[in-house]
Amino acid sequence: MIELIATAESIEQAQALIEAGVDTVYSGEDFYGLRLPTSFNLEEIEKITKLAHGGKTQICVAVNAIMHNNRIDFVGPYLKKLAEIGVDRVAIGDPGVIHILKTEKIPLPFVYDAQIMVTSSKQINFWVKRGATGAVLARELPYDELKILAPKIDVPAELLVYGATCIHQSKRPLVENYFNFIEKPEDTSKDRGLFISEPKKPETHYSIYEDINGTHIFATNDLNLVSGLEKLVEIGLTQWKLEGIFTPGQDFVEIVKLFVVAKEALLAGIWNESLLEELNQKIVALHPEKRELDEGFFIKDPDEVK
Amino acid sequence: MRKILKKPEVLAPAGTLEKLKTAIYYGADAVYIGGDAYGLRSRAGNFTYDEMREGIEFAKKYNAKVYVAANMVTHEGDEIGAGEFFRTLRDIGISAVIVSDPALIETCAMEAPGLPIHLSTQASATNYQTLEFWRNEGLERVVLAREVGMAEIKEIREQTEVEIEAFIHGAMCISYSGRCVLSNHMSQRDANRGGCSQSCRWKYDLFDLPISGERESLVGGQPLEEFSMSAVDMSMIHHIPELVENGVDSLKIEGRMKSIHYVSTVSNVYRQAVDTYCADPDNYVFKQEWEDELWKVAQRELSTGFYYGVPTEDEQLFGKRRKIPAYGFIGQVLDYDPLTQIATIQQRNNFGVGDDVEFYGPGFTHSHQVIETLWNEEDEEIDRAPNAMMTVKTKVTTPVKRYDMIRKLR
Repeated sequence: MIELIATAESIEQAQALIEAGVDTVYSGEDFYGLRLPTSFNLEEIEKITKLAHGGKTQICVAVNAIMHNNRIDFVGPYLKKLAEIGVDRVAIGDPGVIHILKTEKIPLPFVYDAQIMVTSSKQINFWVKRGATGAVLARELPYDELKILAPKIDVPAELLVYGATCIHQSKRPLVENYFNFIEKPEDTSKDRGLFISEPKKPETHYSIYEDINGTHIFATNDLNLVSGLEKLVEIGLTQWKLEGIFTPGQDFVEIVKLFVVAKEALLAGIWNESLLEELNQKIVALHPEKRELDEGFFIKDPDEVK
Repeated sequence: MRKILKKPEVLAPAGTLEKLKTAIYYGADAVYIGGDAYGLRSRAGNFTYDEMREGIEFAKKYNAKVYVAANMVTHEGDEIGAGEFFRTLRDIGISAVIVSDPALIETCAMEAPGLPIHLSTQASATNYQTLEFWRNEGLERVVLAREVGMAEIKEIREQTEVEIEAFIHGAMCISYSGRCVLSNHMSQRDANRGGCSQSCRWKYDLFDLPISGERESLVGGQPLEEFSMSAVDMSMIHHIPELVENGVDSLKIEGRMKSIHYVSTVSNVYRQAVDTYCADPDNYVFKQEWEDELWKVAQRELSTGFYYGVPTEDEQLFGKRRKIPAYGFIGQVLDYDPLTQIATIQQRNNFGVGDDVEFYGPGFTHSHQVIETLWNEEDEEIDRAPNAMMTVKTKVTTPVKRYDMIRKLR
């Protein structure tokens, strides 16, 4: 069983992803969820849910923001509405949201998704005991750690296999503050496409933008783990997320299709080097120009980053 | 006359046994330290069990508590031995552990029952439902995220009975604490396992990267100011009444890496402010000398963080920086003879004849002295005290006490 989860930037794209063969569509509203390609209201989420269910596809809704008091009171009614709509699961990063699910007895499965903070099997099992049906793994985990982690968990754990990796969230408007200081007011939204580079590494390009959840910074290279899929199947980590936040439109759908091909080949036992090479080349070709791809922490030695 | 009997705790950082004793002697009700493992300050000077025992014994004499920060975010295998670690802490008399990782919380609860657990600020608790979640898990206290404002604290207090701890002084993460791995990606050092390289404080280029065409830098300003994410530090000295009235149980000072000069000064000031307010809240008057005292050890500009709104560019370290700290630590009093007015001093930094130095002690005592004569260990007259930790004697006309500290303007 391999599950492909893909973000949706529009209802049309969601439809295309469903037709392309994804198992789960991931979406949500930015008031409740983090770093979405597009913020959808409940009506739109309901539409996507219907489309998904019509295509035997699931939907996961992001409710993984760090909630302050001014948001948490809206969360209960929102979760109830999501349950009514029939979404298949939500992603939660703030334990207060889990508390609401429990105290208000809302019948909605959830996966634990605190981004950077989910780094071990014991943590995941802690959340499973509190009702989680899955978890989203941090992107800073090398294969050698995943290999140890995988057999110790009782639920599926989701892993990013394609797309951008968030490495910093601040509640401060860091870019706006800077532009204000240099008296050069500019757009700081995601659509603007701003980057920062390290002091002595001008070749680096970390995406940075602001939204209602603060400032977000992404790893210099986007992730492409197509070459690691076989290993992931071997260790049983087969819930794969594709993140389209910086890969717009049809290109993202085409990349998702390549992962569907990979999934089917792996399931059919016909995965091979030349197919991998072919898929990899196509992914690189479809990936936005000037955004590079690498295998991130997957190929690092666990002792390299301590 | 109204009096506040349930005073909030003044909680100070202690990177070493000396800092622990200093903080408590200068008025902290509790200190937090690091153990040999599971902490976030691998370079902060951590405590062995024997040092902890000595620290606890000292703390008991002052009715003070000692907490241990074990706030790392564990990866596979890092948690090995944690159960024994927590049991040992409990058995030697540690009052609570500060933890953010649920795996460690569970290990502590299961394997060291009776040891209170405080949720670390790394877990970014920002609303009352989250505090309720952790209260149900049996936690005694939650350290709020630094992004929580004063009005939010008031609401949280009304909605939950779990103890609230809030940062009131010191350096701040520019991110939600814990939600940052810049260091992992840029320096190959794990921010959440004690290796943070403070990449946020670096200078960056900020640019557009159009699909076609070359990158265009957007940094500017006169003089040129590069993009940075560095925050100024926090000080809530002006807002002690609100913190007390809104029911904050523990007022936390940041800085396990800071010196005894820093720890003694900051603990001393907040002790004064809290005691003054609680003794007679209705006639409380803020004393400017408290703020002035904090500036003597401040390392950056000071602000109120998120307490009264989202910080702007004024709360980030842009532009020309003030030369701080203004004062340098030069020594500590080892002994004083009121008859001869001779103070025996352990030198901590170069000073000498002609220097106008300031003595300060617990209870916010201060005095000034121009050094007239200086003798070394052999009672020979010297001009300067140049050697680290050397013992010198000098005449001090206003009486001082053992453990008083000495500083001078830079």
